[in-house]
Amino acid sequence: MPNLRCVRRIRSEIVAGWALAALASALAFPSMGKAQMPPMPQMPPVSPEARAQESADESTDPKALLERIRMLEQRLADLESSTVLSEPETRVRRVEVWVDPEGGQHDEPVTGAKRVVTYQRERVYRRQTINEKIEEALSSEAEKNVQVGVSAAIATQVAAQTKGPATGNSGHAYALGSADLYFTARVAQNTLFFADVVGLGGPSPDSEIGGLTLLNGFSARLVRQNELNLREAWLRTELFSRTLALTVGRLDLTNYFDHNAAANDETTQFLSDALVNNPTLGLAVNGTGMAAVFDPKRSLNFKIGIQQSNTDATNLSNSLFSLAEIGYFATPFSLGEGNYRVWYRQDNSTGSHRGAFGVSLDQKLAPAITLFARYGSGQVPSTNGNGSFSTGHHFYSGGLQFRNGIVFFPGDAWGIGYAQTGLGTGPRERLTEAYYNFGLTERLKLSFHLTHVLEKQPAAGTVGFLVPGVRLQAAF
Amino acid sequence: MFSVKLAARLVLAVCLACAAALPAQDVKITDPTSVVMIVNRDSNDIAFMDIKTHKMIGSVFLGNNVNPHMVMMSPDGRYVVTGGTRANKAYVIDVPTLKLVKVIPTDIAPEHLAFSPDSRWYYQGNPEGDSISVIDMASLTKIKTIPGFVEPLNVTFSSDGSKAYIGNYGAHWVGVVDVRRHELLKKIQIAPPPGVARLDPDRYLGEIKGVNIATPTPDGRYLYAADGDLGVVGVIDSREDKVVKVIRVGPNPWRVYMGHDGRYAITPNNGDETISIIDIRENKVAATLEAGPDMTGVNFAGGKAFVISSTSGFVYVYNMQSLKPAGRIKIGTNIQLETATTDTADEKIYLAESTNHQVVIIDAKTEAIERVGNVGLYPWGTHIMDSKDNYCH
Repeated sequence: MPNLRCVRRIRSEIVAGWALAALASALAFPSMGKAQMPPMPQMPPVSPEARAQESADESTDPKALLERIRMLEQRLADLESSTVLSEPETRVRRVEVWVDPEGGQHDEPVTGAKRVVTYQRERVYRRQTINEKIEEALSSEAEKNVQVGVSAAIATQVAAQTKGPATGNSGHAYALGSADLYFTARVAQNTLFFADVVGLGGPSPDSEIGGLTLLNGFSARLVRQNELNLREAWLRTELFSRTLALTVGRLDLTNYFDHNAAANDETTQFLSDALVNNPTLGLAVNGTGMAAVFDPKRSLNFKIGIQQSNTDATNLSNSLFSLAEIGYFATPFSLGEGNYRVWYRQDNSTGSHRGAFGVSLDQKLAPAITLFARYGSGQVPSTNGNGSFSTGHHFYSGGLQFRNGIVFFPGDAWGIGYAQTGLGTGPRERLTEAYYNFGLTERLKLSFHLTHVLEKQPAAGTVGFLVPGVRLQAAF
Repeated sequence: MFSVKLAARLVLAVCLACAAALPAQDVKITDPTSVVMIVNRDSNDIAFMDIKTHKMIGSVFLGNNVNPHMVMMSPDGRYVVTGGTRANKAYVIDVPTLKLVKVIPTDIAPEHLAFSPDSRWYYQGNPEGDSISVIDMASLTKIKTIPGFVEPLNVTFSSDGSKAYIGNYGAHWVGVVDVRRHELLKKIQIAPPPGVARLDPDRYLGEIKGVNIATPTPDGRYLYAADGDLGVVGVIDSREDKVVKVIRVGPNPWRVYMGHDGRYAITPNNGDETISIIDIRENKVAATLEAGPDMTGVNFAGGKAFVISSTSGFVYVYNMQSLKPAGRIKIGTNIQLETATTDTADEKIYLAESTNHQVVIIDAKTEAIERVGNVGLYPWGTHIMDSKDNYCH
C-alpha cells in the first residue's frame, strides 16, 4: 500500500504537470489576450499540508519530472513483483529449557534447575509464493494420512504339451488376476504400519499341470482364491540409528530372506515361482511372525526371522519356521555391485526339526547385465509325509537380466532363467523361462513370457509343456 | 613559536594516527580463504565463520524478506555476492569490511549464480524470469539480461571464460552463452524423450524435471549434465559443444557431482534412492548403490563421498576406492539437512542444518561431527573460496 508521502508526491507531480501545460500554452499563444487564453484545468482538491508539500517539491524541469516518473514506475514494478504474505511462517521446534523447583522456566542453565526438553513455536518472516505454501500444506497432510497403494496384474497363459503321454491339458488357456491393496501409515518415530489385502481369481496352469513349483507365482503362499486374503499386516520400527529394523505381525518371510535383484518379483520379473523364490525355503503360506534385519549400510548385513506357516496350527509353537541369513556386498574383479546371501532354515511342521540351507546371489557383469543364481538343499515337508528335497541334494536356478541399454525403451527389462528342482523320492522338474517387460509408463507394464517345463514323475514318465503368457501390471 | 610548531605537529600526528587506525579497525577479514560463508534464509543475512576457530566473525544483513539463496565469493576474493530470491535483487558485499556495497535489481526470483574465472562477470540465474542477469563487477552494475532460457538453474563457466553453460530445469537442453557478447549461442539437447512418453502424459506433461547443471571435469574438456525426467547423463564435449555420449543412470537424477580427481562422478537418483557412480574414463556406470531419500548434495573428502539425504537426517558415506557403501552418519532426528561445502584440504565438510540453525562440521577421516550453533536463521547453504564442492540446491 503506497504511503501518504507517496500520495503527496504523486499529487505534486500532477500539479506540476498541469502547471507545465499552462505555461506551455501561454508560450504557444503569446499574442492572445486574457479573454482568449485557454481556461486553466481544474485542479483536484488539495489539503493545506499537501499544498505546502507540493510547493516544496514542485519542479518545472522536464528532465527531473521524467526521472521522477521513471522512479515511480520502478517502485510500482517492485511492489507488484514482491508482494508478501501478511502472516508469518511458523514452525514448531524441539527446544531445551531449564525448569527450577518452583516451576519457573529459563532459557539458560540456572542453579537448581533441571534440563527439560519441550516444544515451542517460532516465527520467521519468510516470503513465500502461494504455490510453495500450497505444496507444503498438501505434503504435510499426506504425511499424516494413511497412504493407499494399488497393484493389479493379470497373467494369461496357454499350455501346449510338447512331450509325454497326452494329459488332455494341451491347448488350454488360463488367466489369473490379482489385485493388491496396500495401506501404509507412519504411526510413530521411525515406525510404520503396513497391510496388504489381496484378491485373486481365475484359473492358473498350476490347477491342471501339477508341477513341483508354480508356473504362475501370483498364487504362491495364498490359500484361497476368489476371495479377499490378508497377505500381510505388520508393524515395523527401526532402532539404533535405524540400523536394526524389527517387523512383527503377519509376514511373508520371503520378502526378507533369499532376496535377489534380478529374480525376486513375480509382478515385474519372471512369472514362474522357481525363478522368483527358492522352494527349499519351504514356506507354504504367510503367517504370524517376526523378522529382525541388522543393516549398518556397509558390506555385511544380518537377518533372523520366525514365522508360522500353517493355517491350521492351533498355537504358535506348531509349524514354526526359523530363518537366519548373512548378506555380503562385494565388487569382485572390478565388476559392478554384487550381493551374496547365505541362509539357513529350520522348521518343526512335521513334529521333528528339519533343516535346509540356501544361497542367493546377484552380480552386475556390466551396467546393463546382471547374473543371478540360487541354490538350495534340505528337507521340505511334502503332502506325502516326510520327504527329503533334493536332486542329489541340490536345487538350483540361474540366469541373466538385461536393462538400461539392451532394450527398446528406457523402462524395459528382459531376462532368461533356468531352474532345476527335485525331490529325493524321485519327482523332478526342469524349467526354462524367458520374458520381456515393456515399461510403457511409470505405472503400467506389459510383459511377454515363454516358459518350458519338463515334469518327471517316477511312475508317469516325463511330460513337457510350453507355456507362453502375457502379463499386464499396473501399480499406483 | 617553537611550542606552537610543536603543538601543531603533535596535533597533526594524532590526527594521522587516528586516520590510519580507523580503516584498520574496519577490516574484519584479511584472508578470504579463511572463512566459510553461510546463507541464512530467514534472518536474511550472510554469516561468516572462521575455518580454523569455528567462531562467527560477523554477518551482513541484506534487508527484510530478501530470502538469499546461494552465496559465492569472487575468484579474486574481493566480493561476496548473493541473489535475494524474494527481493529480485543481487547483493554485493565487500569482503574485507563485510559491508553491503551494492544492491542491483535482477529479474524474477534469482537463485544460483556463478563468476567468470577472471572475476569480471557475475551471472545471476533467474529461474522464474527465464533469464540470466549479467553484472559487471568492475562497475557493479547490471549490463544485460540474457533471455531465452527455460528455468535456468545453474551456470558453469568454461575454464578460459569464453563460454558459459546454463542448465535449464524446465527443458532438456543446456544453453551455451558467448561471454564476450553475453548472448545465447546454442542449445544442446541432452537426449530426446522416449517414444513411449506419449503414453504417460501425467509424467511428461506435468512438472518437468530437466537439466540442473552441466558439471565440468577438472580439465574442462567435458561437461556432464543429468536430466531428471529422462534418467540419463549427457556427456558434452566443450570443444564442439555437442553430446558425445548418453549414459543411463537411475530414475530422477538430481545432478552430477564431480570427484576431485576427475576419476568418478556421482548422480543421486531421487527416483529410487540410489546413487550412480560414473567412471569418467570409460563413460559408464561403475556402480549403483543404495542411498537415502531426497538427496540434495554430494561432497568428496578423505577418499570418500558423502551424500546428503535431506529429510532422513543421515549423510551416506561411500568408499571411492572400492566403490562400496561405508555406512552412514546420523546428524539428527526430525531435522532438515541442506547443502555443504568442503574445505580446500579435502578434510572437513561444512553442512548447513536448517532446523536447529547450525552448521555441522564433519571430519572426513574420523566421521566425527562438531556443531556450530546460532549461525543465523535457517542456514540454507555454505561456501568456501576455491572449494571444489561449492553448490546449492
